[in-house]
Amino acid sequence: MSETAAHPHDDVHDDHHHEEPFWKKYVFTCDHKVIGIQYGFTALLFLAFGFFLMMVMRWSIAYPDRAVPILSDWPWFQAWLDNEGRVTGDLYNMFGAMHGTIMVFLGVVPLAFGAFGNYVTPLQIGAPDMAFPRLNMASFWCFLIGGVLMFVSFFLPSGAAKAGWTNYSPLATTTDLGFSSLFWTGQTQWLLGMVFLISSSLLGSANVIATVINLRCKGMTWMRMPFFVWAMLVTAFLLLLAFPPLEVAAIMQLMDRLAGTSFFVPTGLNVGGMAFDAAGGGSPLLYQHLFWFLAHPEVYVLILPAIAIVSEILPCNTRKPLWGYKSMVYAVMALGFLAFIVWAHHMYMTGMGPAISTFFQATTVLISVPSVILITSLLISMWGGSIRFNPAMLFATAFIPMFGIGGLTGLPLAFNLTDLHLHDTYYVIGHFHYVVAPGTIFGLFAGIYHWFPKHTGRQMSSFLGHLHFWPSLICMNGIFAPMFLQGMQGFHRRAFDGGAAYEQISSRILAEDGTFVATIFQKLNFVAEGANVMMIDLNQVTSTFAWLLAVFQVPFVINLFMSAYTGKKVTSDNPWDATTIEWATPTPPPHGNFTEEPVAYRGPYEYSVPGADKDFSPQFEKGEDGDDSPDTEESEKSVSAKSDH
Amino acid sequence: MEIPYEVTPRRDTGLYNAKLAVWLFLASEVMLFGGLFSAYVFLRVGVIDGVDVPWPWGINVHKTFVLIGFINTLVLILSSVLVVFSWVALKERNFAKFRALMLCTVACAAIFMGFKTVEYRSKLMRHFDIRLTDGSMMEGTIFNKSFDIPFSVESAEFNLIGSSPGFIFDIDGEFPEMTVAWTVGGSGGKEETQVISSKRDFNKWFVRTRTAMTKELSDERKRYRGEIKAKEKAVFAAEEAGTLDAVELKEPVMPDVVTKAVAKLTKPYDLTARRTRVGKIFRGEEGAHNDTLTYADGCKLIGVGGDDRVIFEPHYVDMQLVPLHKQKDSMVWDVIGDKHAKEAWYKNRDHAYEEMEGYYAKKDAEIPEKMLRGYFINIQSIHDKEHKKGFMEEFIYEFKAGIEGTAYHHEDGHHDDHHGDKHDDHAKEVGGAKDDAHGDHGHHVVIKVPRDKIKFLNSHGPRAGNYYATYFTITALHGLHVIGGALVLLYFAVFGKRLYRKNPEHLANRVEVGGLFWHFVDLVWIFLFPLMYLL
Amino acid sequence: MAGSPEEMAKHKRLYLIVGIWLGVFSCVAISLGVFPILDVGPPGATWEDIVIGLGVSGIKAGLVSWIYMHLNHEKGLVYKTLVFTIIFFAALMGLTLFTLFDPIKESYPTIQTLRGLLTR
Ligand code: HEM
Ligand SMILES: [Cu+2]
Repeated sequence: MSETAAHPHDDVHDDHHHEEPFWKKYVFTCDHKVIGIQYGFTALLFLAFGFFLMMVMRWSIAYPDRAVPILSDWPWFQAWLDNEGRVTGDLYNMFGAMHGTIMVFLGVVPLAFGAFGNYVTPLQIGAPDMAFPRLNMASFWCFLIGGVLMFVSFFLPSGAAKAGWTNYSPLATTTDLGFSSLFWTGQTQWLLGMVFLISSSLLGSANVIATVINLRCKGMTWMRMPFFVWAMLVTAFLLLLAFPPLEVAAIMQLMDRLAGTSFFVPTGLNVGGMAFDAAGGGSPLLYQHLFWFLAHPEVYVLILPAIAIVSEILPCNTRKPLWGYKSMVYAVMALGFLAFIVWAHHMYMTGMGPAISTFFQATTVLISVPSVILITSLLISMWGGSIRFNPAMLFATAFIPMFGIGGLTGLPLAFNLTDLHLHDTYYVIGHFHYVVAPGTIFGLFAGIYHWFPKHTGRQMSSFLGHLHFWPSLICMNGIFAPMFLQGMQGFHRRAFDGGAAYEQISSRILAEDGTFVATIFQKLNFVAEGANVMMIDLNQVTSTFAWLLAVFQVPFVINLFMSAYTGKKVTSDNPWDATTIEWATPTPPPHGNFTEEPVAYRGPYEYSVPGADKDFSPQFEKGEDGDDSPDTEESEKSVSAKSDH
Repeated sequence: MEIPYEVTPRRDTGLYNAKLAVWLFLASEVMLFGGLFSAYVFLRVGVIDGVDVPWPWGINVHKTFVLIGFINTLVLILSSVLVVFSWVALKERNFAKFRALMLCTVACAAIFMGFKTVEYRSKLMRHFDIRLTDGSMMEGTIFNKSFDIPFSVESAEFNLIGSSPGFIFDIDGEFPEMTVAWTVGGSGGKEETQVISSKRDFNKWFVRTRTAMTKELSDERKRYRGEIKAKEKAVFAAEEAGTLDAVELKEPVMPDVVTKAVAKLTKPYDLTARRTRVGKIFRGEEGAHNDTLTYADGCKLIGVGGDDRVIFEPHYVDMQLVPLHKQKDSMVWDVIGDKHAKEAWYKNRDHAYEEMEGYYAKKDAEIPEKMLRGYFINIQSIHDKEHKKGFMEEFIYEFKAGIEGTAYHHEDGHHDDHHGDKHDDHAKEVGGAKDDAHGDHGHHVVIKVPRDKIKFLNSHGPRAGNYYATYFTITALHGLHVIGGALVLLYFAVFGKRLYRKNPEHLANRVEVGGLFWHFVDLVWIFLFPLMYLL
Repeated sequence: MAGSPEEMAKHKRLYLIVGIWLGVFSCVAISLGVFPILDVGPPGATWEDIVIGLGVSGIKAGLVSWIYMHLNHEKGLVYKTLVFTIIFFAALMGLTLFTLFDPIKESYPTIQTLRGLLTR
């Protein structure tokens, strides 16, 4: 359906890409695949960095009275440690705030939406590129500027932001006021960085939506789009419409810090015993509203791409159609809609008032229905399949129960009565990390293993994949499961010394001396010989698993780089015998993607079709029977009219 | 490689790419300005009477700006019409007409921004609010550089941790010669000095010394931790050997690094410390040269503090934040020190009360409690019907009671804007007759307000309160949109010819998309105008 | 919508008329502000002022978006996007305001306490 005749003048892009210089091909590129890879690598670097911050924090929690090993002699670090080399509250706050920010805004979203959204979406709908390739490039560079600002802020005299990833005012407004240049403080740079990141996301999301709506290839009707594309579409809408209010909040907070306004500064605020020099009359609650209006949809931005990836990998490796494709599509749309009206469940404890809490409680419980539809469909999709357990499939399979645990533990938080007890404890940390870490991150790993051969023409090593997967799975659970126990005992999520301040609570006994659990703890030196195991001793378990988890990412890194050069070469363009259109491209796909115009002849998940000669009938292969012909313009119109929204 | 549907619409969606994208972009813009408007409403509705800074109500406050806003509204509407017609011209394949109309549009944008600048300047430089510690407020004009505290520096103390000390940024003009002194090797260590006479040298010195200090601190800490470890080991070994009592253990010594530095100025230097950077000022005895001024970053200046009283000409007094029973002897009357002012103010208030009463008596209703609160605890507005003059004045509500009675305003016409220059002259006069606090200049009352009675002081810039904050934030953001849109339209007008020759429809599409954005910018203003100027 | 020349002429007339109406409505808005014709109640922005002020703006905004931005004949997808955007915007503004007017929570005592604290 390319409209060559319509614009004969457009010769700019024609066939130049062979001679393009390096910087144009790999740095300032407009090719959606290269941009996707750029996003991917940047995001992986940031993920690693965020992980490093977390490891330091875990040290402080597990061993608050010991010097940080290895790092404590590094001069930059020294300045933030106390004389004994222990982590200070300031350092912990800084790392905590930046861990959250980096993981969410610079790690997972760019990897999930930036990398996979960019790389896979146009391929799956049979488009030659994104609708606006140059906008796409702008979006990446915007993101990079934001990321660099965030990173550089660590090395300012004030250090990076310290007010939590949520950056609540008035704390965030009044941090680091003692520096003579307020502009060059981490807190201000955080806001600037956010403005860039948000702008990048807005550009990216508009691009993805335009691409999906307008660049679908011939025959790719709405209901023939792979679920991945649907999820990306909904994700893009979430980003497009939820991010602007946070941009507003960031701008207003920036004004509060730099221009001295008091949007979020209440009347009569005292800082450090002195009246804060501002007019007052602002509302901290307003900040939270604006922040969570984005940040709840944001959690779906984190999870939807992972569900999307998993729902591509499951049918492919079970050789069965995706169960309930249509209900999944409608569920994801409902989810996208509801995601906008549940945000205040993060604010039950702000004294908002019971009526509004009740409203948000109701919508929050409602939103778990579509979530459950999605996960149930995935679960049922595996039923009775003959499953191929390659590394991608392992991660995808593990995603389901992990996401399930994360989602189910969300329900007690959704009810404001129970949330009263659980809010701001490690329970919340456990809840969302189950969704994001063994959930989303596993989904993303699965995606990397799955699409790696498409880009490099080589398989990733299965052995290293297993070595990566199994320990990671164990470590993830070792880290986050104890958090539920501690959280229910009231451990506060932001106590930097690991709950030493909670002596009373931490004296709760987890296991008495002589029991099996106690023996293990004693053997591992977590508690002294002959002592009971206390709740607080779980800190060490968690931390140990966290560091182990880092170790077991090494096989992945090796695998990623080594396999690109020495991996087993794939013998076809469609090594997994998959059905979606991205596998119709040459390997790797050239600039412009398809060598011949792709046509979608059927739905996306036609595996093991009875009577077919193979166990998969790709979308892009013309079948024998008449049903398989692409829809004509007319029927395409009617299908889209029926199925849209 | 070609992207399909760049020019022609796709059949089933009926849209070409750019049009789809611009609507998506506008949707997100709706959320952006929607967020800002939500914040406006939330903050305005959420004001707690008598506690929060009141929002100015309606046209009465902004009377000098309503005309500007109105003209700007018309200008933007005109530009919208022009954009539509320039698109029509393109559709009719009349490039010259298109270009002319487009340039007119851009000119409209320039006019709009010009008026905005005038308005901003006036708000930022001409109108000031002083809130005293008891909550009473005055609005008027300030004659000295009021945010700054004059200080004659003789020496300074500051920290080597963090960024350059705040007072360095307050030195404008020639950099004073100073001798900096710092200590190496812990307290009691070697003292080093250096003479510095330029800002560049200072920064160089600062960075160098800070690096050295950090290194020293780092080494000391390493040593300290080493000692702790050694002690632990020794204890352990002694315990093993059973000689714990016998051995002598070396106590680890805490690192002791001096992070302070002192600068002695060769001769006193007069600077004006910027209010926003300064924490406190302590005044020592007269002539003792030991006043200290502390910056927010802990940097301390020692020397002689200048007269930091604010020279102020009040125009209005506002008692909204003062409880009723305290209004009679509010601090503000002391500060103003003018009996007539007080009387005039109470006359106005009583007048307002009568009017309220009249209104509700006609309606045969009790005055609602809320209304009473509004008037007596919070004098929100006083209907000034006595002095009908001119078109604009006629039905304007005075928001606050004029202290000299209303006669003052009408003699001078508007007390602001147009007379900015006059005020400057006036300031000099006042400066000359320093001790004459109530300088007798016609109806003006010029007073000096002691700094310690002031709780909050600001021009009508963004700091002044949430009305001004939202006003500046939203209009500035809108202004950025205007500039951005105008640049794009200008680009079409100037460089469109090439594309027009190639494919006029493509240019028409682009102009349509640019026009859509431009209309949206107009749309935002349509709502901004009543919200900011009329209601 | 590039139709025949007559159609174009018709469009042009429409655009011009709309432009004039926009000007007229602006004048209406300002005169409502300057002569408080309906402003019979106590001074300040009253309920009526707000309705009229924003109502006139609403009409102007409607004209601009409907005629100038061609929403009178746009494609379904655009409408859908805009409808959802408006819903979410309404949710943002409405639900945040809901916080201030919670029917169960009596906010008055809090205000009283706050004032007591600040004026004592
Ligand atoms: C069935 C679904 C879910 C429900 C009912 C739910 C409910 C909640 C509630 C009520 C809270 C607030 C707890 C508190 O602060 O006291 C919360 C926190 C959180 N949830 Fe969920 N959630 C669900 C799914 C998810 C998903 C899919 C993700 C993301 C990937 C997620 C990420 C988060 C995050 C990041 C926080 C913590 C934010 C913070 O305070 O820093 N949740 N969840
Ligand atoms: Cu949430």
